Amino acid sequence: MMLMPPFNLHHPETVEEACELASTFLANEESFDWVAGGTDLLPNYKWHINVKKHVISLANIQGIDAISMHEIGAMARLGALTTSDSVHPLIASAASKVASSLIRNNATLGGNICLDTRCFWFNQSEDWRRSIDWCHKEDCGTGSDCRVIPNQNTLCVATYQGDLAPSLMVLEGTIHIIGPNGQREVPVDDFFQLDGITRNVLEQGEFIVKVTFPEGVENRVGSYKKLRVRESWDFPEAGVASSWIVGDSSSLRIASTALESIPRSHQSEVDSFEETFSSDLINPLSEVIMKSIKPVNNTALPPRYRKSMIRVLVKRSLREIIGDKV
Amino acid sequence: MAGGYRQQPGASSGETRKDGKRVAGKQKFPPPGSGGSRPNMAPRDLDSIPESVGGKEPQPAGSHIHDRYRTGTEVGKPRALIDSHAKVTGQAWYGDDVRLPNEIIGKILRSPHHYAKIKSIDTSKVEALPGVLAVATGADAPNTFGVLPVTKDEHAMAVEKVRHVGDLVACVAAVDEATAMEALNLFEIEWEVLDPIFDPRKGLEDQDEPIHWRGKYHVGTTNVQKRVFQEFGDRSLVEDPTASSHGKWRMEGVHHGFTEPHAVVGHWDPNGRLQLYTPQQVPHYAHRALSTVLEVPMHQINVIRTFVGGGFGGKSDPFPHEMCAAILSRKAGRPVRINFTREEVYWINRGRHPSYIEVKMTADDEARISGFDIDALIDGGGFASFGHVTSYYNGVLATAPYELGSFHYTGARVWTNKPASGAMRGHGAVNTRCAVEVGLDEMAEQMQVDPIDLRLANLLPPHSRTISGFRITSNGMREALERVREGSEWDSKFRQMPLGKGIGIGCGFFISGSGLPIHWDPNRFPHATVHMQIDMDGGVTVHTGAADIGQGSTTAVAQVVSEVLALPIEMIHVRSHESDTSPVDLGSYSSRVTFMNANAAIRAALDIREKLLNAAWEMLGYHPDVLVLNDRRIYYKHDPAVGVSYLEALHKAQEDKGSLISSGAYRSPPMGGVHKGAAAGLAPAYSFSAYVAEVDVDVETGLVSCTNVWAAHDCGKALNPLAVKGQIIGSCHMGLGQVLSEKMVYGRTGHLQNPNLLEYKIPSIHEMPHVTPIIVESSDPEGPFGAKEAGEGPLLPILPAVVNAVYDAIGVRIRDLPLTPDVVWKAISAKTKALGVIEETELPSPRLEHSALQATLVARSAEHKERDRRRQRSEDTGAYVNGVLFGFDPNQPLEDQVEGWRSAVEPVPEQLAELGLAGKAWLKKEQRQMEGDQ
Repeated sequence: MMLMPPFNLHHPETVEEACELASTFLANEESFDWVAGGTDLLPNYKWHINVKKHVISLANIQGIDAISMHEIGAMARLGALTTSDSVHPLIASAASKVASSLIRNNATLGGNICLDTRCFWFNQSEDWRRSIDWCHKEDCGTGSDCRVIPNQNTLCVATYQGDLAPSLMVLEGTIHIIGPNGQREVPVDDFFQLDGITRNVLEQGEFIVKVTFPEGVENRVGSYKKLRVRESWDFPEAGVASSWIVGDSSSLRIASTALESIPRSHQSEVDSFEETFSSDLINPLSEVIMKSIKPVNNTALPPRYRKSMIRVLVKRSLREIIGDKV
Repeated sequence: MAGGYRQQPGASSGETRKDGKRVAGKQKFPPPGSGGSRPNMAPRDLDSIPESVGGKEPQPAGSHIHDRYRTGTEVGKPRALIDSHAKVTGQAWYGDDVRLPNEIIGKILRSPHHYAKIKSIDTSKVEALPGVLAVATGADAPNTFGVLPVTKDEHAMAVEKVRHVGDLVACVAAVDEATAMEALNLFEIEWEVLDPIFDPRKGLEDQDEPIHWRGKYHVGTTNVQKRVFQEFGDRSLVEDPTASSHGKWRMEGVHHGFTEPHAVVGHWDPNGRLQLYTPQQVPHYAHRALSTVLEVPMHQINVIRTFVGGGFGGKSDPFPHEMCAAILSRKAGRPVRINFTREEVYWINRGRHPSYIEVKMTADDEARISGFDIDALIDGGGFASFGHVTSYYNGVLATAPYELGSFHYTGARVWTNKPASGAMRGHGAVNTRCAVEVGLDEMAEQMQVDPIDLRLANLLPPHSRTISGFRITSNGMREALERVREGSEWDSKFRQMPLGKGIGIGCGFFISGSGLPIHWDPNRFPHATVHMQIDMDGGVTVHTGAADIGQGSTTAVAQVVSEVLALPIEMIHVRSHESDTSPVDLGSYSSRVTFMNANAAIRAALDIREKLLNAAWEMLGYHPDVLVLNDRRIYYKHDPAVGVSYLEALHKAQEDKGSLISSGAYRSPPMGGVHKGAAAGLAPAYSFSAYVAEVDVDVETGLVSCTNVWAAHDCGKALNPLAVKGQIIGSCHMGLGQVLSEKMVYGRTGHLQNPNLLEYKIPSIHEMPHVTPIIVESSDPEGPFGAKEAGEGPLLPILPAVVNAVYDAIGVRIRDLPLTPDVVWKAISAKTKALGVIEETELPSPRLEHSALQATLVARSAEHKERDRRRQRSEDTGAYVNGVLFGFDPNQPLEDQVEGWRSAVEPVPEQLAELGLAGKAWLKKEQRQMEGDQ
């Protein structure tokens, strides 16, 4: 049993109201968090991790939970995505692999994209973190060092373990952001930013309203492969999504997650091959992608293993979209 | 006999409606013996009455002393646990469901250091915080306690020093949880941080500041808490082996993972007596410890066991937080509740010991097992807990079910600065069992024989004695092996499946109750006592101290009483929650409850039965020998129409006495050897089990999934087959967790990295294989109606069965548990490299071509099968001791027959150089032996 620390919960009903609230808090220099489904934020709160004075819930805002082939609202529940006939099958498949069905009923697309980075030195209770004298990601004013890679104290290497991001990347999604300073659009590929603390391009007061996909996305064939110890509950220890328009080698997209502080598009690795995409290309591609990533030791499985598995996941994902028997 | 006999002539009830139903509330008191709404006595259920007493229940294992008391009412029938209604409707009151008026909340301040001396604690700021009602520190309770009388090394809160991160430092009670948590930040403590140790191998070395100090018994200045040496048999037999296996294992620590975190309420009532509510497996030991720590006599303490949301050994120690609740409540004058978070549950731990185990074993030219050589170094964490016993169990519980030429065991348990390990389902036997069974598989492969036949040809028979002197009575090992072989279609699968698919065998052997109780004072005190009371209404109230931790002990007691008295189970009311009303019971550990408690209950019920029969004798004129009890009626054997109702007999028996009262007790018979440690592992009966597991291994990722399990367990007699099957399936789940994914991860800084249920990976329903439970009934001569344990033994075989199946699938023997995908993948990669294959998918699968020895084994096991049958059915009552297979005479002391037959509990000096890892603990002297040196 864990006691939830106190905070003020706000329930704006329109996007404008939400932005107004955010501006007010920013002006008063009061800290706040956005909450969508709460399945990531609230467990962290119970552990007294980065608890803010105010929490603004997006749950009552109408019209930001659309689900279609070309647009998914930030408040669309993952449970709804897994059963929807209208979203891209890759999204439905990736969403179905998130946590457990109970959590998916509450968890949202926006929340999954903005998932806080994770690390076993960080996702612990206050007592526990005190026993290691805190860490860089949540130093409680002590200026503590990173516990994963000591003596660097510049970057947080907590791992991003969202399941959906790579699929959104390989479907060429665009994230629509709104905030006190207005709207902007960012390709999913560019949304995430180093490091484990910065996480993404969202400025203070901004939040995601929706993700859109280009015309023709319905022609893409995709596959998401997730490595985890248990078939339920577990965050990905590594994840690879790929997609292409069958027969069009230039359309091949590959992205990975759960290996570093941000999910990564592997476009440059894909572009390094000039040959037509075929079964013969699968092994060399998987090798190159494996070499491009550097996981660290802060999740359940050791980094060397996760790195090696990327090769297997890329192979399996590509074999699936190319139509080979896995 | 269909339709039964009318119990009462004429219409018996009051008003009836037009539809023939009776009108509620307008009924006369039901006539004696009507048993409620059923006017007729149910016919005797001959299918549930043994052959030996005229029924139709087959008894392949022979008759049993309790057969005469079988009435066909409950025993052997699948029965939903009688407390299940309370559980499924949410009305069962677990630790956190207790709410007393004026209750306040206690919180515990825990150590942020692995190992440190407390130089001072200033509580003034805590006490000044509004809302804080009591504060306590180690100084408030200096007396030590511990579950074993020989190793009392715990305090309610740290006195002098803390021994692991999370160790209790102080506690506070406040009006609400938020205030209590705020108060925890106000303690001012001066620490002197000491150098911690985490690696148990370092625990064998001399230290400046050992974690505990045992005075003259301390081994050097090391952190060795307990060391064991045992050697039996003829060591010369291990020379020139035909096959041998040498395995070094590393097993991670695992936790019970019970659903309910610890929760306790302490309350000093207006008379100054302590009422302590706690989900305890062993309320009696908590009772004793509370008395010691609080310095209050036991009769001034009432321990109230709430419903227990799973224990598995993890709630069997007296716990410091129980003391804290009592101390805070005494200070505050109000009830104090302490609830744990999951993280605190991991910090109090008592899970299975992280272990380094080395097993060398050999087989001779006739494929007899000539030697087991086991070395087990186990990591005890910060406190002794059950560790004294665990240190023995790691060795001695490997001495059966096989006949051994020799047995050599060295074990050591060391303190480290980690949460304390303790007892967990399959206590001490699980890890070594896995190592031994995998070793057998390896030897079978070297000899190119079937591993099941290797086992079948080396089993100890029923009614025999192990190499270390354990008395084996009933033994269903052979049947268990035969039935899983058949059920799994082993002969068409083993070593014949493609790469990535495998099948494996593993066996188990476990105690059914420990022969010696932990506390044996007062002398000759029974292990279990049951009181029974029947008043004029006919309902039977059974008082027992047995702690139902979900295993169904309450149901088992109700069932045996129901069976003896031929009353429906709804008439049996079990009261087991309070130490004020329950006779002392030693608690739910060592798989003792069904065996000991049900035996005591049968004795109490027999006393009542005798009184009822005597009353019926007086009324009917027929001697009890010719009277039959059946469904609330007692009648003349040869004319069922002549009889009295149960209530009539009861009321007759109650004349001038009032309610019938009886008491039954159980104490295990004297047995076992006389050597040091001979009592460890002694049990009045032993359970046996054999599992076959089928696995799929993904050779590219190393992910192992167990798909099918055939699980045969010899529980003597299934009093409740439904409960036995539940225990088998539950054990599979728990054991699978240990073998595939669960581990307590201590990172490079010694901190427990995964004290939560997301990162401590208990298998989910997706990981559960299809389990086919197979119940083997060997009818134990001393068990209640033949029953033995089914709660712990079934866990043992799943580990080796899976490890052996993984070998069958990929040809790699892995000795690091759990078999997480990274561990398996690493082993596959190494093998791929060694063989020079490019892709993992091209690895060869192991295959079997029977050698000449196979025929020898098949012939021998056929011969032994007949031997076992005769011994089981008492057609052969000759002595049988371990060693007969090697040609020795069971009627002569083995020492006289073989030169070099040893029975030793300490190494001789020339052995010291060749001892294994844990054996190195014997290189040091105890302080008392060193005194002369200085």
